[in-house]
Amino acid sequence: MATDLPRQSITLPTRGRPRIGDLGLRGLAGAAAALLVVVMVALVYEVAREAWPSIREFGLGFLISEDWNAVTNKFGALDPMWGTVVTSLVALLIAVPMAVAIGLFLSELAPRALRTPVTLLVELLAAVPSVVLGLWGILVMGPFLGQHVEPFLKDHFGFIPLFSGYPSNQGLLPACLILTIMVVPIVASISRELFLSVPGELKQGAMALGATRWEMVRSVSIPQVSGGLVAATMLGFGRAVGEAIAVTQVIGGTLGIHWSLFEPADTMASRIAAQYAGTATHLQRASLAYLALILLVISLITNIGAQLISVRIQRRMQGSSA
Amino acid sequence: MILHDEKSDMEMRRMQRAKRFGALSLALTSVLLAAACGSSGSSGTTSGGGGGSSNVLVGAGSTLVAPLMSQWEPDYTKSSGVTITYGAVGSGGGIDAITSRAVDFGASDAPLSSDQAAACKTCLQIPWALAATVVTYNVKGVDDKLKLTGPVLADIFMGNITSWSDPKIAALNAGVSLPDTHITPIYRSDGSGDSYVFTSYLSAVSPDWQSKVGASTQPAFPTGTGAEKNSGIAAAVQSTDGAIGYVAVAYIASESLNEALLQNAAGKYPEPSVKAITAAAAAVTEIQPDGSVPLVNPPASAPDAYPMSTYSYAIVPQSSPKAEALKAFLTYAITDGQSFGPDLGYPALPDAIVTNDKTEIAKITT
Amino acid sequence: MSTEMSPNPFTNLDPRSRRRRRWGRLMEGLASLAALLAIAVLVILIASVARRGAPALNVDLFTQVDAPFGQPGGGIENAIVGTVIMTAMATAISVPLGVLIAIFDTEFAPARLAFAIRMTLNVLSGVPTIVIGVFIFGLLVVGHGYSAFAASVALSIIMLPLIARSTEEVLLLVPGTLREGGMALGATRARTVVTVVLPTAFGGIITATIVAVARAAGETAPLLFTTGIFANAVVTDPSHSMASLPLTIFTKSELPDTHDQQVAWAAALVLLVVVLVGSITGRALSLRTRRQIEQTR
Repeated sequence: MATDLPRQSITLPTRGRPRIGDLGLRGLAGAAAALLVVVMVALVYEVAREAWPSIREFGLGFLISEDWNAVTNKFGALDPMWGTVVTSLVALLIAVPMAVAIGLFLSELAPRALRTPVTLLVELLAAVPSVVLGLWGILVMGPFLGQHVEPFLKDHFGFIPLFSGYPSNQGLLPACLILTIMVVPIVASISRELFLSVPGELKQGAMALGATRWEMVRSVSIPQVSGGLVAATMLGFGRAVGEAIAVTQVIGGTLGIHWSLFEPADTMASRIAAQYAGTATHLQRASLAYLALILLVISLITNIGAQLISVRIQRRMQGSSA
Repeated sequence: MILHDEKSDMEMRRMQRAKRFGALSLALTSVLLAAACGSSGSSGTTSGGGGGSSNVLVGAGSTLVAPLMSQWEPDYTKSSGVTITYGAVGSGGGIDAITSRAVDFGASDAPLSSDQAAACKTCLQIPWALAATVVTYNVKGVDDKLKLTGPVLADIFMGNITSWSDPKIAALNAGVSLPDTHITPIYRSDGSGDSYVFTSYLSAVSPDWQSKVGASTQPAFPTGTGAEKNSGIAAAVQSTDGAIGYVAVAYIASESLNEALLQNAAGKYPEPSVKAITAAAAAVTEIQPDGSVPLVNPPASAPDAYPMSTYSYAIVPQSSPKAEALKAFLTYAITDGQSFGPDLGYPALPDAIVTNDKTEIAKITT
Repeated sequence: MSTEMSPNPFTNLDPRSRRRRRWGRLMEGLASLAALLAIAVLVILIASVARRGAPALNVDLFTQVDAPFGQPGGGIENAIVGTVIMTAMATAISVPLGVLIAIFDTEFAPARLAFAIRMTLNVLSGVPTIVIGVFIFGLLVVGHGYSAFAASVALSIIMLPLIARSTEEVLLLVPGTLREGGMALGATRARTVVTVVLPTAFGGIITATIVAVARAAGETAPLLFTTGIFANAVVTDPSHSMASLPLTIFTKSELPDTHDQQVAWAAALVLLVVVLVGSITGRALSLRTRRQIEQTR
């Protein structure tokens, strides 16, 4: 992450008054940076402004209301929030251990010749456009799940509420898997960099004391990078929460909260994508903007949190090496 | 300043490239910004879609009229040189888009509610297509043309009937062997005129539905799976055993879907053919003050009428910067354009409606 | 961790215990399996898209627009043109801005301001693209209509942090000696940056641009809000709405017609090839430019 690169600051003596060229470039560059801040502020302001009619009408009760009715003009975020929480948490549950394992593989366990190509392949997975993933999800993975995997799960594990309900080609399960595919490369590449940054002396020390490679990883590497892994997980969570397109293609866009992973559902992001073009009332449009505002707040919190963690780790590393 | 060594030529060239690149992108950016300010300036507050040129008309809305529109687009461009850009986003989206003047015309199978009409600020509703919404289903082992009544349909979509072998369905279809497959209702999750027609029909025939759900372009369906657009429902129904949904009649033929026969007020089960839809239009001739003509559930005096017929409306602002182009296109649509209808299952507009439409179209000014 | 000497955690265990070794090998095996699974998913994806999209690859696909309802044939010419134009416009906006921000951050800003700007860039890059779509919709589409220009602005917001951060990394790789050399010869800060630092970092900026373009070409959510309605004809005027590959894939992916689905697969194949080639090229180039810059130390 760019925040942890060391800054080379050139303090050179300035002679006399600043030169025009300096002012020109400095002004231009400064203006660009100012524009960045303006865009960021404008983004928050504009989304909040579009959401305002709904905020004024429902206030914070929006967050716990299950309504979504264009006829009675009552809306609430609880249904899609539930979908967002379930899909993101399940995706993280599967993706994070897998991604950490991949990061380990790429940094420690793989034969040297394989490391660069496999790293590239994992990063390519992150580069796949979400709409292509969604196309594959809706036409290939969804039917496969609905016709083979879900009936199997229902027959053998149907007593678990998660696997009750009627198998369907769309629903929470394909959405969770799609999000997993999206989150794994992100967390894996960060984990890989984290594991590469563990000081060699610590690792060799453990090996010298007689640890196997796995024990070294478990007792040295993972604790060392645990803070960074938390940050990576937060970034993965932010990504999962915000994904709209691939999710809306496979999730079925329904109201209602149910335990079953087979049932169609909705997330906040996918609801915005599905309904924004054609809202029946202004309050509905504002309520979708309210959902966008919630997503924005979640992404701000996870992102800033992840950065603060990484800054703290960096300071601790610099402190300990002093 | 440049010391002459082997690297200096390369560096000089890189320098020049970098400078040229920087200058070029700055120039491009300023040109684009200028163009943007220019175009947004000329659009003003009541702009139509994208930019001021009047040989493009942008519209959005109903997926029911979309098959017809896709025939109109190339045909009209050939004869008039005007490009029609149409986005089939659903009737709800069309109403929204024309209200915010993001497009030049909207298309909706659902007439504007009083709130929407107020927000649209003197918009005209001009019927320009006659069609129907048809119930479709996909049950392994069950053939085409299953019979259903309004109350049974309402029960299915409310979740009171959950299996295809339910006695209420069997009672209507003697001699058909119905498996006990689970029923999956599929509905429109986007703002849809077909939803409006479907739920208007259910509200008319089932007081339970009227009180629990009502009629809307985006009703809160109690159960089932959502799909976007007519094509989405067709896709969902085709890929789910036991599914039941509702689509515009053009999609039945083009996707080879099953169609359910609905009982009309006279007790008969007409197919949603051009003849039956025309009969419905003939039975309801009164034009409401807002320009709409609701055809849902025609009275028993029309024994051959299909009960879920509907007009589709063009929603246009009474004053528009593209008035001339709009008038020309709308006139084409209600006259020459109607010739494409019957092949898709859409009858031509009745003469009385065409006459009334022409009066309405004349009201459009700049 | 306690500061007192803790007993060697490994002396209590038989260092050559087969159980420990087996356990270790199991864990390593699982890690390899995870990597294999990820690669398998990528391969399955690419194979699926290639297998289903390749049959539809013909000249018609690239020279025709969509066929009318229910009729066979047609292509994605307008979508390809639209994506190219909108991505090019977004690049023209985001690259100068991104490079300038990176220059400001590395050359002119005091440490705290630079940190704040870097944090803003990171935060902006984490904003869901659907929220950016809502933002630009309210800002540029309401009252003005759908336009390729609005789409380009939305895409440039997505590209900006990528370009700025990568450019910053490359600028920081340029050794201080080069800068000091320039200033020692009497050049202003600005001139040093433009004539010495930027040319050295040029390769890195190109790389960053390629990667950002590959990312922007595949984004769908911003296009949904800015060019959701597009003409079934090739459009080159940026004040009008244009078709695009991602939206074509998105719309056709939900259609029941197998012909439409095949067009979707073909469009996905085109997009995937462009994105993957761009990403691979970008990363390969980035390794090379970093090595080049490090050689100038």
